[in-house]
Amino acid sequence: MNQNQGGNDARHDDDSALSDFLASLVDYTPTIPDELVEHYLAKSGFQCPDVRLIRLVAVATQKFVAEVASDALQQCKARQSAVVKDKRDKQQKDKRLILTMEDLSKALRECGVNVKHQEYFADSPSSGMDPASRDE
Amino acid sequence: MSDGGGESGREFDRTTKRKSSDRDFPQAIAKIAVAQICESAGFQGFQQSALETLSEVVVRYIRELGKTAHTYANSACRTECNIFDIIQGLEDLASLQGFSGASDSDHCLAGSGTVREIVQYVSEAEEIPLAHSVPHFPVSRDRKQTPSFLQIGEEPPGDHIPAWLPAFPDPQTYVHSPVLNERGADPCAGNIEQARQHKKAEWSLLNLQQQLACNGLEGPSMIDPGDAAKARRAAETNPFLSAPLHFGEKGVSPVFLPAKLSNEAVVENQAGENHAVANHVSVLETFAPAIELMKSRSCESEEGRKRVLSNQRPAVQFKIEIGKKSTGTALDLSFQNKDVEKITSWFGKDNEKDDKKRRAEKILKESMKNPQELAQL
Repeated sequence: MNQNQGGNDARHDDDSALSDFLASLVDYTPTIPDELVEHYLAKSGFQCPDVRLIRLVAVATQKFVAEVASDALQQCKARQSAVVKDKRDKQQKDKRLILTMEDLSKALRECGVNVKHQEYFADSPSSGMDPASRDE
Repeated sequence: MSDGGGESGREFDRTTKRKSSDRDFPQAIAKIAVAQICESAGFQGFQQSALETLSEVVVRYIRELGKTAHTYANSACRTECNIFDIIQGLEDLASLQGFSGASDSDHCLAGSGTVREIVQYVSEAEEIPLAHSVPHFPVSRDRKQTPSFLQIGEEPPGDHIPAWLPAFPDPQTYVHSPVLNERGADPCAGNIEQARQHKKAEWSLLNLQQQLACNGLEGPSMIDPGDAAKARRAAETNPFLSAPLHFGEKGVSPVFLPAKLSNEAVVENQAGENHAVANHVSVLETFAPAIELMKSRSCESEEGRKRVLSNQRPAVQFKIEIGKKSTGTALDLSFQNKDVEKITSWFGKDNEKDDKKRRAEKILKESMKNPQELAQL
């Protein structure tokens, strides 16, 4: 009985936490706009008039993107530090952190998305070079 | 199999074209949003391809989430989704990366690890609204519908037409009424007429050049239209000047091929030796002045030649058949060229406009440049 009550209390807590969270979402403006999320959800058959659920989906997507971005950033920083280690004599240039396809594909592979891109297109003199040195 | 493949290929092209036009705007918005999120994560620049790929992945994530939530709602006999459908969808998508409590089989959805992670994220991350304001899309254009008979207040013209159908368009749109020529003399009409005349003249000259190439030398058929005999001869050679066919007749166009000509000549030869001989003689006669000129070409000046030509301008047309091949081959090409020039100068003497003469000369010169091509005509 006690366990059940404890379980019930936990469930109530969960429910209340969820409802509180949903209430707070109304104030929070996610980066991904509501119209965009509504458009794509409508395309896949999702029907819901509640704006809080739309916000929930938007926030979940934002979290996903933030995770991928942070992974890619870690990859980028790791590569930069590796380069700097080799050439300590040179002045440490403050290089801009650029999101490249290489880092992105490594980060997305953890999420189960396989992004393969061409190594190089032989149409410019800088093809095949280290992409970090190519500023775009 | 190949037909099916071809058709599907075409369909694929059509659908991809439609897709690209449909998803341009939301894709662009997604790119902006993704760029802002990456910027907050610490990036200072993006590769175009990387940004596009990530925004494409984000779009697919949203669609996958919606599809999964919708599937769960349908499994529970509902059409509208609720929070639990979304949480289940989130769990499905996050199952690859894993979340706390993923291994529990009968946990309450409200306390799912994914929700807790999201709550944590919201509490930590700063709020970054989108840089642009997004209007409500897709914008649906209201179609202006044709009002019905009832709405207009008209009586439908006929008992078989119910009044709730859309009204007929104005009779002016479909009734053909005669148009009065108010403008009278069209300023462009004169130019058009002139152009037509020029074209006719050019065409006849081209025709002439063609016949020259096949037959050798053709008499100036256009020069004296007053002469009836000449007109008849011209009608024979120029199909556009021939008399119109009566009902029941069939017009056979004369094809000027060398093979046919040789056949013609053979037939003529067979018909009468005299006739052929007469032709042959006439050929020599007509070529006499030209041959004389050729002999005296080196010592005479060009103007002298022209003077000689004006004296010997023939009053009769001459028609030269390539009956005797020897005659044809005896003439060398340079001679032919000179002859053509003389002919054009003859044309020039007879009330022809200067530019026409120049054009004719140009055409003939161009044709004489490649004698091999002419033989094929």
